[in-house]
Amino acid sequence: MTAFVLKRLGFAVVTLFAVLTIVFFIVRVLPGDPAVAILGDQANEQALAALRARLGLDQPLYVQYVEFLGGVIVGDWGVSMVSGRPVIQEILKVLPATLELTFVSLLLGALFGIPLGVWSAVRRNRLPDYITRMASLLGLSFPAFVSAVLLLLVFAIQLRWFPVISSGQGTTLGERLRDLALPAINLGLIMAAYITRVARSAMLEVLNQDYVRTAYAKGLAFATIIWRHCLRNAMIPVVTVVGLYLGILIGNSVLTEIVFNRPGLGKLIIGALNQRDYTMLQGMMVIYTLIVVLVNLLTDLTYGLIDPRIKYA
Amino acid sequence: MSQATTAPPSRAAYLRSVLAAIGGGLLKAFNANKTSWIGLGVFLLVVLLALFAPVIAPHDPLQQNILFRLKPPSAEHWFGTDYYGRDTLSRILWGARISLTIGLLAIGSAMVIGTLIGMVAGYYGGRTDIIVMQVMDVLLAFPSLILGLIVVAMLGPSVANLVIAIALTAVPPFARIARAPTIAVKNREFIEAGRALGYSDMRLMFGHILPNIAPEILVMGSLWLATAIRVEASLAFIGLGVSPPTATWGGMIREGFENILDSFWLALFPSIAILVVVFALNLLGDGLRDAIDPRLRGEA
Repeated sequence: MTAFVLKRLGFAVVTLFAVLTIVFFIVRVLPGDPAVAILGDQANEQALAALRARLGLDQPLYVQYVEFLGGVIVGDWGVSMVSGRPVIQEILKVLPATLELTFVSLLLGALFGIPLGVWSAVRRNRLPDYITRMASLLGLSFPAFVSAVLLLLVFAIQLRWFPVISSGQGTTLGERLRDLALPAINLGLIMAAYITRVARSAMLEVLNQDYVRTAYAKGLAFATIIWRHCLRNAMIPVVTVVGLYLGILIGNSVLTEIVFNRPGLGKLIIGALNQRDYTMLQGMMVIYTLIVVLVNLLTDLTYGLIDPRIKYA
Repeated sequence: MSQATTAPPSRAAYLRSVLAAIGGGLLKAFNANKTSWIGLGVFLLVVLLALFAPVIAPHDPLQQNILFRLKPPSAEHWFGTDYYGRDTLSRILWGARISLTIGLLAIGSAMVIGTLIGMVAGYYGGRTDIIVMQVMDVLLAFPSLILGLIVVAMLGPSVANLVIAIALTAVPPFARIARAPTIAVKNREFIEAGRALGYSDMRLMFGHILPNIAPEILVMGSLWLATAIRVEASLAFIGLGVSPPTATWGGMIREGFENILDSFWLALFPSIAILVVVFALNLLGDGLRDAIDPRLRGEA
């Protein structure tokens, strides 16, 4: 087990290093001078040179690269060009709101998606299966901001069940849940659509296995076969795909936060884009990278928990 | 007089037979899953509407009319008018041209570049394969909307830059899709035979491996076209679409969102338009994928 964890950990560190290198070069290789982007076309050469020096852009590329990597490791991600506060502080301030949203959405997605997928697989090629398949295909066709706008129209504006703007600042649990409800339902439904499809195909695969036929033959109850014998084996692809879809979830959370005007990484990145906050953008890419690499690591480690065979692989 | 029965087929005839094989494979897949036909039908209808937008659009999409601001749907304006009194239906029809152009160009180029990378990595294997696919995996790990967002923000929003940004996020999946079947095909007898005949790597890859993996790549293309249209609309919604006053679906929803309390139809109709196209493409690609390879079910 320890060897497995260490191997995965090493792989995560290598990936992280690779992605950070790509982030560094994407920001620098793309055409367009960040100094001009920040100060505008009309800025004079002196001001541009001063800003370049402040950003460290006048240094040779390898010096910038080493400083960038060193900074990321010690938590010095530069200072926001707009607010003047350290980038890492600004990010950490809103990170919990985004994590709360993504976590609850993931939970909702799994809560609806896994049973629906199992049901669909068990009733293969019958009406429930067709309906579930069409509904899940429709669900993943929704751009997150479209479904968000529709939910807002129906449940916040017409029915007035939920607030139009979720401040994310509620103090009591009730307030927080009310704030979180619509954004989480929005992301949760899309996630459920993805999970339903994977759970269905994973279950179909497992249902055809010999040991399932044996379980039927020895007279085990249907529910026992499905939930104890099939589901645990079907969970591996589900967990993999949930890990892979986290990227989609993060992208969608940006759109959801904008529609519901909810604080989080999404609103921060849009603000940084609009104000051309170059250091903040770089910091945002670093934090997204960290999240993605961490989730991939957790996904890998989860296999070991679900499937004992993998621990010794 | 002289009958060339044993002469090798001409290049054109060979190309025809390859195309016929790919077409035949796709046709079989279509017939195995009827919902694909529905998806294709709806998508082609949207393409036609977009092509003929200048003819069928009832109004000029840019024509402002202050007297007809924010009017609800009526006989004159089926989908109502926006804040500047512009006809929503006409703007949706013209907006389809932008969505489809960007989507098709981005996925077309990602398909070509990604397939090339995947085929080369799969065909040569070894260190090339490991390094190339590691880079692809790293790119794949990055949320595509975030990557697209940053690239467009740096390059500036224009049709060309949106195509580049979206294509960049779609290259890795095509590389992965092309690589696996290349590895599977490259050791089959007909490739061995080609090698024995002294065919070059290029000829084997493009003449013999590509036709075998083309149906799978085209099917993934339809699914990724759906994603590309969704990402383009999302970027436009954020404010990184083709600049106004050009009509884009995402941009229209963004404008409609600002007037959502009193004129909900502004956001509603373009939302439905995006949903119809993306759903049609997913229906098309999903059905074909099931038919072509049942094992792929559920993987995106």
